[in-house]
Amino acid sequence: MFEAPVQRLIDELSRLPGIGQKSAQRLAFHVLHIEEEDARRLADAITSMREQVRLCARCFNVTDTEQCSICRDLRRDPAEVCVVERAQDIVVIERTQEFRGRYHVLGGAISPIEGIGPEQLRIQELVARIDDEGIKEIIAATNPTVEGDTTALYLARLLKPLGVKVTRLASGLPVGGDLDYADEITLGRALAGRLEL
Amino acid sequence: MQLVWLEMRDFRSYGSLSFRPDPGVNVLVGPNGAGKTSVLEAIGYLATLSSFRRSPEGALVREGAETAIVRGEFFTGAGGAIIEVETPPTGRRRVLLNGKRAQSRADVAGVVAVVAFLPDDLDLVKRGPAYRREYLDDVAAQAWPAVSTEQAEYERALRQRNALLRKDGRRTDETTLDVWDDRVSRLGAKVLERRLSVLDLLEPEVSSLYTELGEGSERLSWRYSAAGIGFLSGGTGGAELVEPLRRALSDARQEDLERRTTTVGPHRDELAISIDRRDARTRASQGEQRSIALGMRIAAFRVLFDRRGSAPVLLLDDVFSELDAARSRRLVGHLPDAQVFVTSARSEEVPLVGARWRVDDGEVAAA
Repeated sequence: MFEAPVQRLIDELSRLPGIGQKSAQRLAFHVLHIEEEDARRLADAITSMREQVRLCARCFNVTDTEQCSICRDLRRDPAEVCVVERAQDIVVIERTQEFRGRYHVLGGAISPIEGIGPEQLRIQELVARIDDEGIKEIIAATNPTVEGDTTALYLARLLKPLGVKVTRLASGLPVGGDLDYADEITLGRALAGRLEL
Repeated sequence: MQLVWLEMRDFRSYGSLSFRPDPGVNVLVGPNGAGKTSVLEAIGYLATLSSFRRSPEGALVREGAETAIVRGEFFTGAGGAIIEVETPPTGRRRVLLNGKRAQSRADVAGVVAVVAFLPDDLDLVKRGPAYRREYLDDVAAQAWPAVSTEQAEYERALRQRNALLRKDGRRTDETTLDVWDDRVSRLGAKVLERRLSVLDLLEPEVSSLYTELGEGSERLSWRYSAAGIGFLSGGTGGAELVEPLRRALSDARQEDLERRTTTVGPHRDELAISIDRRDARTRASQGEQRSIALGMRIAAFRVLFDRRGSAPVLLLDDVFSELDAARSRRLVGHLPDAQVFVTSARSEEVPLVGARWRVDDGEVAAA
């Protein structure tokens, strides 16, 4: 539709998640109109990220060194490990400033439909860490979906016999929200996981 | 509850349509294939986000169109609500409730309830258990909006368990299977609990309607039989059902491993209907079956009316052509005070007073 070099960029951009044909066109034309130096910086940011970034040897977080900054931080408590599906989930939990332990990125959740069983996830690597690091508690922070819940349960079955405490993030009500606005499923879960005062 | 206006674009055979129905009875008359049922289907689609014709979503989009759009405003006890659904031929539909993205099916299910009477409703009585399970689940999902999410979660867990069995068959890792058993039994218990609750509400209505619809003095009764568990009655709590389901799954494990699918659970249950001691499915006359099916729909209406506090919208798709004059009259006698949409090829066969609309060639006009 467009000149070949423009179309090529549109095609590449539209392969990105959340970007459709229209957005890809808008981005491509934006790039066409910026300074050449800015365009080069963008391209360089993309390629050098891929070259420099790798996965943390311990927790599989995204890092540019052998171990990620969290694993290298000596103030972190090695006895508590928060298990997440994806590296980007770490950022969300870190933002709370409430967790002082380390992480472990599974790389997904158990989903036979997509051909993902426990072997496809970094579960053996997690088991290996337990003795090495003296892990006492695993916090399963997988998504509150059928697959995420199942993965959490699998971890509990696997790790409890090894003497590790396995906990699950509570699901419940948004803080500062009105009870009226909570959907029934969330409210039902909040009720099931209620705490004594 | 009442539909104030309806707009459709590229839905089924319609190019575009804008329709302002009467708050009472609306009779849509037109030749076969004119698009009468599509109007009812669109109303049902707004309320439940699925087609009562059991069509896949893609089939709702007009041939060659980019997306089908249905929007409508419903007036409920709580005020007005505008629902808009945009459906592409493939991929995800987009649902807006009062201009805001709806998070789940449950958001929309909470707005308005519909009860549809369909020409092949006899299937409810005559055909396999899947029809009766679907009936119970549909009523439950409209009675308690959270139910549609629970049903979707159960189906998801079930599909995952089946995928695991299909892949590895007898070599399936038992620890992973244990975990799925736990999920399936917990989520299944919720589905089962809701079915039993709705059954409890429906049963007295259906049995009294059967007598009222004039089928004599024989007693109609229902029995819910849970696969791998046995007969269950209403009022059984979800928590009490988790263990029986887990046990049923573990008892059926060898068979599941052999057959590579889940052979017990709410997806295999049966609701048996009998008249005195005769099985309605195989040993009732066509007329008796017809009365049971009508009774099931009217009962659904009454139960939803009661739960929601206002009358559901009624959709009667070509129902009168299937009924003899006596049953037609009795049905009309039991139609409650609600907004009703009726389709028919022949105007004179509809014994109802109300607004008449002529449907032809993708247009709806006052007749």
